[in-house]
Amino acid sequence: MKLKSDVNDNDLLRLMLAGDEEALALLYRRRQGSVYRFALQMSGSRSIAEDVTQEVFLFLMREGHVFDASKGTVGAFLLGVARVHVRRRLRAEHRLEPLGDDAEDDDVFMQSTTDMCPLEDLTRAETIESVRKAVLSLPPKYREVVVLCELQDVSYGETAEILGCAIGTVRSRLHRGRALLLAKLRPAADVEETGAATVRCFA
Amino acid sequence: MNCQRFETVVSELARGQMMAAEQRAEALAHSDICDDCAARLSDEQMLTLGLQSLASEMESLEAPRELEAKLLEAFRAREVVVPIAKRSSSRYWLAAIAAMLLIAISVMAFRWINRQGDEPREAIKQEQPKPKLDVSNKSNEQLAQDIKKPSIDYLFPQQSKPKRIRPVNLRRSNNAAVANHVTKEIATDFIPLSYMSAVSLQQEGGQIIRVQLPRSALANFGLPVNMDRYNEKVKADVLYGVDGMARAIRFVQ
Repeated sequence: MKLKSDVNDNDLLRLMLAGDEEALALLYRRRQGSVYRFALQMSGSRSIAEDVTQEVFLFLMREGHVFDASKGTVGAFLLGVARVHVRRRLRAEHRLEPLGDDAEDDDVFMQSTTDMCPLEDLTRAETIESVRKAVLSLPPKYREVVVLCELQDVSYGETAEILGCAIGTVRSRLHRGRALLLAKLRPAADVEETGAATVRCFA
Repeated sequence: MNCQRFETVVSELARGQMMAAEQRAEALAHSDICDDCAARLSDEQMLTLGLQSLASEMESLEAPRELEAKLLEAFRAREVVVPIAKRSSSRYWLAAIAAMLLIAISVMAFRWINRQGDEPREAIKQEQPKPKLDVSNKSNEQLAQDIKKPSIDYLFPQQSKPKRIRPVNLRRSNNAAVANHVTKEIATDFIPLSYMSAVSLQQEGGQIIRVQLPRSALANFGLPVNMDRYNEKVKADVLYGVDGMARAIRFVQ
């Protein structure tokens, strides 16, 4: 029996747990991208991202029955599992602090070609690279919120499900994470000129 | 709106998130009259653009194709080797059969030991027949004396029997000692080392290995540590899953 692509994730998971290989293939093709990108954006390492993607789906095969549809979507569940694996890997490799200096993986985000002129392309590539490094240098609890809300375009509600915290916490961490990113991305000269990173007025 | 209030909404404003039209208008109006807040908004918008560029740059990235093949292979292998429902039910059947065999063997052993003990008693009984009164060559007086003074052996046959040694009883007492020793161990419940639930730990199965850990390790699992014995070691059972990963731990005293 050929599965239709409009079968929802919950049904695919149920079929997969019943032993349907095609359901696993369909679910994998549908969700591997977000899991892989999340792991890559969190770790900055392609090898870690590959390992985490594999571990997430292996976990789904073994422990997929623990998924509770009333608590969230399959996508959020997978990202939650991915988050646990990423943190474990980073902890194991003592890489919780500033990341992104891995020569092998530095070109991960620079592969796509654009139709812009070389100078624009270079400027854009530099901007993206500096943003990427700034994201990777964030403390993990802010990094994961920035990655989920800003790069994965996950809603506050789903992010709260994935992280197991309140929506208010997600908001405040995102706010703080963005402030840290701005501080990292703001040119040093700018800071020297103004004498402070932020100046607050009370108009 | 003042700058403090503006600061709380500036991220949402720059990200184009849903917000009340009135609040949005107030925030924009404030940024028109406050240079610092206007600059802050501009920074936030630039950051949003940078993040969006990064996201779109990575949008096409996917896991390598060979990963799917590996996973499907693992899925097939899992189906053959570890069908979860069958494995759990077959485990109960095996346990039940093993228990029945154990009971049958112990009953048979008990009977065999009893029979072994009874055989010498019967043999002794056969070797010591009851004394018969020989009336043929004795006079009446002698017969009367024989009746009045029966032989001691006949009246107290148990005293003449050799004492039976039952090594099985000794063995039993040894076994009891071992059993007591085992039951003297106190263990905590298994504490999962990962995100697995207790139910999934039971279902998955695996191998338990006894290890020794520094007593300070108790603190890592939220258990109280006696500071006087801080340097001593404590025994623990680590439950390894079928993939060789440590799944759970329990401490044993």
